[in-house]
Amino acid sequence: MRTLTGVGSTPLTGVGVVRWHRPADELTLPPRPAPADVNVEHERSRFETAQDEVREALETARTRTAASVGEDEAAVFEAHQQFLDDPGLVDDIQDAIDDGTPAPHAVSARFEAAINQFEAMDGRMAERADDLRDVRDRLLAALLGVEAVDLASLPADTVLLAERLTPSDTAALDPDAVAGIVTATGGRTAHAAIIARALSIPAVVGVGDELDAIEAGTEVLVDGEAGEVVVDPSTERRAAAGGVTAPVRDAPVETADGKPIEVAANVGSVTELDPAAARGADGIGLFRTEFLYFDRERPPDEDELYAAFTEAMAVFPDNRVVVRTLDVGGDKPISYLDLPTEPNPFLGRRGVRLSVDEHADLFETQLRALLRAAASAQGDGLAVMLPMVARLEEVTAVLDRIDAVADALETAGVEFAIPSLGAMVETPAAVFLADRLAERLDFLSIGTNDLTQYVMAADRENDGVATLHDPLHPAVLRAIDHTVTAAHAGDAWVGMCGEMAGDPALTSLLVGLGLDELSMSAVTVPAVKARVMETDTEEAAALAAEALTCSTREDVRALLELE
Amino acid sequence: MERTVEVVPAAGLHARPASSLVQTVNTFDATVEIGRGTDGADELVSANSMLAVTGLNVTQGESVRLVAEGPDAAAALDAVAAILTSTVEDEGEAS
Repeated sequence: MRTLTGVGSTPLTGVGVVRWHRPADELTLPPRPAPADVNVEHERSRFETAQDEVREALETARTRTAASVGEDEAAVFEAHQQFLDDPGLVDDIQDAIDDGTPAPHAVSARFEAAINQFEAMDGRMAERADDLRDVRDRLLAALLGVEAVDLASLPADTVLLAERLTPSDTAALDPDAVAGIVTATGGRTAHAAIIARALSIPAVVGVGDELDAIEAGTEVLVDGEAGEVVVDPSTERRAAAGGVTAPVRDAPVETADGKPIEVAANVGSVTELDPAAARGADGIGLFRTEFLYFDRERPPDEDELYAAFTEAMAVFPDNRVVVRTLDVGGDKPISYLDLPTEPNPFLGRRGVRLSVDEHADLFETQLRALLRAAASAQGDGLAVMLPMVARLEEVTAVLDRIDAVADALETAGVEFAIPSLGAMVETPAAVFLADRLAERLDFLSIGTNDLTQYVMAADRENDGVATLHDPLHPAVLRAIDHTVTAAHAGDAWVGMCGEMAGDPALTSLLVGLGLDELSMSAVTVPAVKARVMETDTEEAAALAAEALTCSTREDVRALLELE
Repeated sequence: MERTVEVVPAAGLHARPASSLVQTVNTFDATVEIGRGTDGADELVSANSMLAVTGLNVTQGESVRLVAEGPDAAAALDAVAAILTSTVEDEGEAS
């Protein structure tokens, strides 16, 4: 039993068999031996075996794509099969092997030459070069014993290991098949980690280079709470992992001394609603609407949006559902939106900035659907939240827009109601203006991932500044404190929907800072509810007050008794 | 035995037409070689290689020279010529 340590990302535990996901550019050839040391017979049969393997994989991919997508899309795999058996390539590769070149080196060199040849021609040939690359990578992966992992159809009980996973890699995973994810890099607030939590896949990130030593086929335990990866776990360790950490509580909870704290869930699609309810969430504190806009040719219409909003309210008839209006920008491209390519998309045209300006049309459709949904059966609980607010002008523009939409619905004789309205506090500007925002709005919700990024000037996806990207830096805690105080002075309730809200180790600090609502990945709801019930508000307030006097992150962590 | 034909499919000798050409050639015993109509005999490449065929980079409207040898050479030439002069294509471009 050997244990590697990283950062626990999804606080669940899973046991399974390791499969490595290595993108093609990480395939490196072993050192090349002298021709005299090469066993030609062995290399020839090695090449043929690899060809057979790849041929079979391509056939599987072709059949599956034909069934799930269509024959036209499957045709690309036929082209790949032809390159695989192309005499123009195969004959040369076999000749090179006969001259004492190991199979991987022969494949790499011949394909490289063909790719260069194609790329020297016009645009259409460059596409062929991509096909050649795909075939080469499959062959090299087979030759080097690196499994070419098809992320969408991993076998059951897979623990997926990777240097890093992209958000789309993660989104493709089947939560029923994947028992865990471990990555060498990344932090718990990276988008990929957030998706893993949404999918309730146990995950440990940021393990470091030591991860390379774990071979495919090894059995490992992924403990996303402790942030540990245990190789060949003992029976005791497995048994300990089997227990559920906190029971699910369906009813809202109070602190030990009777202060109610709402513990809600963040969801990124309607399919996450039922799992959130099953874990006892008190409604939805962040309903992302972006998923309704991705992977399609045109934006959803009003009726489709209305259906999604009323579906969410039907799952949580007695709770609040906070819908965040479209939060896209240059880093989350949508084909039909024609968003500009920006050098700094996190500091560019995004969120409410687009909604009150160039994408006012999409925003108006969202507002119409929201105002109609607010008048539906469970509509009382509907709330609307604006992302990336930095100016009062944005709030004013939105309020005007709501009035205009209400007038239009009234004129058309359509039933509507005005939902409560709030803003996310993600920018330092919103922190400093929190008092003014609270005067005009019903609530504020602190998005700690972006707030930390902007307060600390530290890109949340950049491992080089991962230490800076921690909400426990005193500057971020003070920003939260300032926001809560200002919100309450303006009679607005204040919640938190960043990743910080879902960390049970921070629950008493957050209660002490005065937050009314905590919204998180559904998977952490039971643990946070348990912590709320153990918390005494006076002790928590004293803890928060002391945390606010700390000078450094280390002091805060020591105070909270975090390692 | 040889023949010269004009390439009709919009994709030229790429994508779906190239792919069906190679597949068809492989069903015959005859060896088939292909080259630009304007090129000499030494410019011919093997028509059973997708790499070689697409590498010619022949576009719509160009003429190509087909040379076949073997017992079913005539049938092979007919089949290949049929593909190169067919207008029914070429959803392959979409992929």
